Amino acid sequence: MNLFSMHAARGRVARHMKPSKGWALSIVLLLSGITGLIEPAVAEDQPANEVKPVCTTCHVDTVEGPILSLKKTRHGVKADERTPTCTSCHGASEAHIASIIAGQQDKVKPDRTFNKNTTTPVDVRNQTCLTCHQGGKRIHWSMSAHSANDVACATCHKVHTAQDKVRDKRTQTEVCFTCHKDKRAEIRRPSRHPILEGKVACSDCHNPHGTAGEKQLVRDNVNDTCYACHMEKRGPFVRTHQPVQENCAICHNPHGSTLPNLLKVRPPYLCQECHEPTSHRGNIGSLTGTSTSANLAARGCLNCHTNIHGTNNPADISNERTFRR
Amino acid sequence: MNTLTRKVFSLVALAAALLTMIRPGQAAEVDEVTDLAKPESTFSVGAGYVSDDNRRFGQYTGLRDNGFYGLIDLDLINRDEETGTWTMLDGRNLGLPNRELRFEHNKQGDWKYFLEYDQTPRYEPFQATTAVSGIGTPNLTVPAAATAGVPVDLKTRRDTVGLGFGKQLPGDLDLQVRFRQQEKTGERIFARGTPGIFQFTPEPIDSTTRQIEATVGYTGKKLQLSGGYYGTAYDNHNTALNITETGGATALSGFTPIGLPPDNESHQLFLAGGYSFSNTTRGTFKAAYSRLTQNDSFILPSLPGRTDLGGKIDASLLQAGITARPMPKLSLLANLRYENRSDKTPVEDYFSGASTTATGENEPRSIKTIAGKVEANYALPAGFRLTGGIEHDIKDRNFSAVRVVSAREETEETSYRLGLRRSMSETVTGSLTYIHSNRTGSDFLTTVLTTGAAGSNLIAPVHLADRDRDKVRLTMNWMPSEPLSFQLMTDYAQDDYSSRTTENLGIRKGKAENYALDATYVFSDTWQGSAWISQNKNRIDQATSTSGGQLWFAALRSTGDAFGLSLLNKPTKKLELGAELQYASYNDKFGQEAITGAAITSPPDINTQITGLQLTAKYALQKNMGVRVVYGYQRWSTDDWTWATWTYLDGTQLMEDLDKRVHFIGTSVYYNW
Repeated sequence: MNLFSMHAARGRVARHMKPSKGWALSIVLLLSGITGLIEPAVAEDQPANEVKPVCTTCHVDTVEGPILSLKKTRHGVKADERTPTCTSCHGASEAHIASIIAGQQDKVKPDRTFNKNTTTPVDVRNQTCLTCHQGGKRIHWSMSAHSANDVACATCHKVHTAQDKVRDKRTQTEVCFTCHKDKRAEIRRPSRHPILEGKVACSDCHNPHGTAGEKQLVRDNVNDTCYACHMEKRGPFVRTHQPVQENCAICHNPHGSTLPNLLKVRPPYLCQECHEPTSHRGNIGSLTGTSTSANLAARGCLNCHTNIHGTNNPADISNERTFRR
Repeated sequence: MNTLTRKVFSLVALAAALLTMIRPGQAAEVDEVTDLAKPESTFSVGAGYVSDDNRRFGQYTGLRDNGFYGLIDLDLINRDEETGTWTMLDGRNLGLPNRELRFEHNKQGDWKYFLEYDQTPRYEPFQATTAVSGIGTPNLTVPAAATAGVPVDLKTRRDTVGLGFGKQLPGDLDLQVRFRQQEKTGERIFARGTPGIFQFTPEPIDSTTRQIEATVGYTGKKLQLSGGYYGTAYDNHNTALNITETGGATALSGFTPIGLPPDNESHQLFLAGGYSFSNTTRGTFKAAYSRLTQNDSFILPSLPGRTDLGGKIDASLLQAGITARPMPKLSLLANLRYENRSDKTPVEDYFSGASTTATGENEPRSIKTIAGKVEANYALPAGFRLTGGIEHDIKDRNFSAVRVVSAREETEETSYRLGLRRSMSETVTGSLTYIHSNRTGSDFLTTVLTTGAAGSNLIAPVHLADRDRDKVRLTMNWMPSEPLSFQLMTDYAQDDYSSRTTENLGIRKGKAENYALDATYVFSDTWQGSAWISQNKNRIDQATSTSGGQLWFAALRSTGDAFGLSLLNKPTKKLELGAELQYASYNDKFGQEAITGAAITSPPDINTQITGLQLTAKYALQKNMGVRVVYGYQRWSTDDWTWATWTYLDGTQLMEDLDKRVHFIGTSVYYNW
């Protein structure tokens, strides 16, 4: 819940509600001539200077199918010669136009549609976007889990609106949690990253367009991704803790935990999942007692082993090798 | 009125004055169509009031103290239609401690640069009452006996400056440069201890991290490449924590100085690319070579005479994958990834003769991973798709012969995946996936002591143990009618771990269950409601032994239940109303039982509930100007005993609010143009 975001609230109601003046706008559109700026060519290979208003003759600006707001976006910048027209994405749609001219009751749909009930295959829809957006951070799209699971670009992105929720840190999770519902609950746990406040977003750690690494992480592995913000844990140290070097996620759940510091399990239980039960390491969990007995209270095992990620102190005056200094 | 409040009011007054300079009728004169097609700028200013001091509600926003706060947001966008040049200034939460500001100037398709600033606070939810002095500095003075203290709030703050530049180059090339520098300051919970004696020694945080990435990209129709350099550096301005005791000396006197995280760096060269062999076949790859170094000066002389570790890790990554659709209904995917992290840090005997369970040598950690995957996807009638796949991972690590933890050098895991998915339907879509994984590996190494005698060899560490994992995941989207939709997600995973001994010590079983159901209903053109409910359940069964030989068992259970309700209403053209209620409840159980010997007790459960309510109203005074009012409420209640029974030797105690209710009311004026 973001209490303070004007941006988050802006237009939220309107998005789901029908305009009352669609007919009036269509007239304005036809008269204004502005349509020509966003209007496609009838055929994709037709020179731009021969563009005639076609699509906006019928397609007025509605909330369900916004047209003019596209011009607020980067796709609406005609000064950029790469900018697409309607037909670049939706196809020339000659059968669609013909069915309208013929006044058919069930008019033929455009060649490619991207709405919820589309019948255009996902790979065709995505290829439309990839025609221009294949490079950079989307190079690995074809190998991504999203691609393999038939997630369409338009499932997450809203192309016709100025505010694409998934590209805004404060609203991105609303989109991601549509599918990743288990994470929606996890990020509300008492120990968490500041995701609800919009300071950390899913895309800070994951690239939904695919990467060469595991879990679609932005860096090549879990640790390198965590080090982007937690570089002090990287080392290497004089004394290193093996699981720390192998994978932060062995001990931490980055999506949220009921335990401090995103730990998966409370010490001493966490430590006992690896450590041999010699000396005090096998002690029964207790809140009371002397010496090493109160191993559940406060930071548990870390009450002594405070530098658990590693220490670079080379002097063994008081047990540096066990991360106490 | 405190200084912060005065500053806030000054800002608000200034912004209000600016707003009055804007002619109310100005926007009304703007043509409606132009309005709909022109990027919109917005500015809002207002004030909010927090009802109570708190430690959770404002943990990451800074709304911790009772009082007034400024609510200032701006999003200024100017686009030159002729040249396609954008100028943008985006400011969020400018009156709050989690403010951020970004300026970007670009000519679309040609060049761009940006400058950004971000401030992220984190307030420790536990308040210390302590007599320790020097907190926040690397020099602490700690009482040698319990001493009455004063309340101290621990916090950290990250101040990040980022800048970047991009340029489209001839020949479908482009250049991107990004630089980010973050200053982290403050202090965090830290302590020193030896059995039975513990002192509160908060760690001072004062560090700088830097990241720079320079990438040259090529985007052709068939071939795309992206190569460059990624470098990072960590610079800790505190090298050691020096602790002085007052009023005597304890067994901890020698635990000083304490080493703080050392400076370190990483440098990576990388090249990634993709090539579309045809419309249906595409290959991708990435090759990267990294060097990590850590040669910060030691805080104390070392036995080998080295002045620094000379830490050096070389890491290489090679990945190649291919996807193909040999038949219209069949898609194939294959991927191979090789990652080698080779720790080349010199080995020295730093802690000679320190223990029978560890040598004095540092232990470089090298890890090599090879992961492969093949997957096939076949289209069935009625919009169904069948997916089958196999993944195989092999991990190799190095270990010292003398250890206190068992180890195996190699683990390998094979996963089989079978799924059925329906993604093309007007009413019901969904998927059902089953994954079975089996992890095994090389023989466990025999742990020995420095004397040559056998050490303890009972536990298979959680990340190395043999494991069978079964996971089922079901998702379903159902739209019975146009205004009503449901989404269901459930997954169930079960882990069975193999033990190394007949006592079955170590982790035995794990289980994770997630259930979630969403419903959305559009009542009318002006009313919409949505609701969600979810449950997470995690279970771990594990066993170990006391040094006296008593075997015992812990059944760890963690359950989280959460739901949310939201209503959106637009009763008139000018008024928008919103309500959002969220509730989460968490329960942790520890289920300790004796396997042998006398009965043992379990610690009490920990229960935490968080309730949140947000009400918003937005009223348009005119087409592009209006008022927004927000009311927020949070109740945090817990019976967490983590710190409740704990007192450091120096008398320090840490406490949190067990039941806290906070109200927030804010109002702001917005102006769009």
